[in-house]
Amino acid sequence: MQVVIYQNSNGGVSVCVPTGELPIKEVLAKDCPAGAIIVDDATLPQGADAQFFDAWKLDGTTVTVDFPTAQAHKLAQFNASAVQVAQKRQLNTLAGIENSVSDADFTAELTAGRTAIANAKTTADLIAVTNPS
Amino acid sequence: MAGTIVADTLSDGAGNTTAMDNVIYGSAKAWVNFTGSNGVIRASYNVSSVTRNGTANYTVNFTNAFVDTNYCVQVLSQGTASILWNTGMTFNTTSYTYLVQNGGSTGVDATYNCVVFFR
Repeated sequence: MQVVIYQNSNGGVSVCVPTGELPIKEVLAKDCPAGAIIVDDATLPQGADAQFFDAWKLDGTTVTVDFPTAQAHKLAQFNASAVQVAQKRQLNTLAGIENSVSDADFTAELTAGRTAIANAKTTADLIAVTNPS
Repeated sequence: MAGTIVADTLSDGAGNTTAMDNVIYGSAKAWVNFTGSNGVIRASYNVSSVTRNGTANYTVNFTNAFVDTNYCVQVLSQGTASILWNTGMTFNTTSYTYLVQNGGSTGVDATYNCVVFFR
């Protein structure tokens, strides 16, 4: 399938998928900014790389994953999940309900996860790190 | 084939009628059903394309522009998270942009994005 790609104002890559109501060249002219290009979506990052869409970068006509950005996004997701779990744990404590995992174990889980993200070499490594739940 | 039928009321001949305004103003002017994670479009009407600007950040581009930005939008975003919000809306005559977030304000690429426009 052919799509239109371009670097957006956020520094990432926008992918415009035509519905087929108009020829893709009309979509390119009507729906996309100057400099946008038509590519086959098979040339875009696949598999684990596809899951880090916000870390995609456009270099000429090639889209790749900026790994440090992917790491930063994964860490942000991990931390956001950690905050939610911590809030639940705090509510449990206030309500006099025992948390199923000890504070020490929870802290160790967070440390292990953050270390794994920091040591990751590939996007598959990042995906393998489970967010706190 | 081209032509125009002018009428105030539509009838099925069996006593059931509806005002033409119901047809004109009560019909969806555009709609699209697409997958959030890759923008693949299942079906659409009067939508030329869907652009993924980032995770859970989408722009629906219209084939024929609206006369103004006072249209109404109904969005359904269904994914694995129990609660998804639609936020960050931007109304343009030629496009509509919105975000999908979960309860933690994190962007989520919903499996099903159904967006309907009325005017």
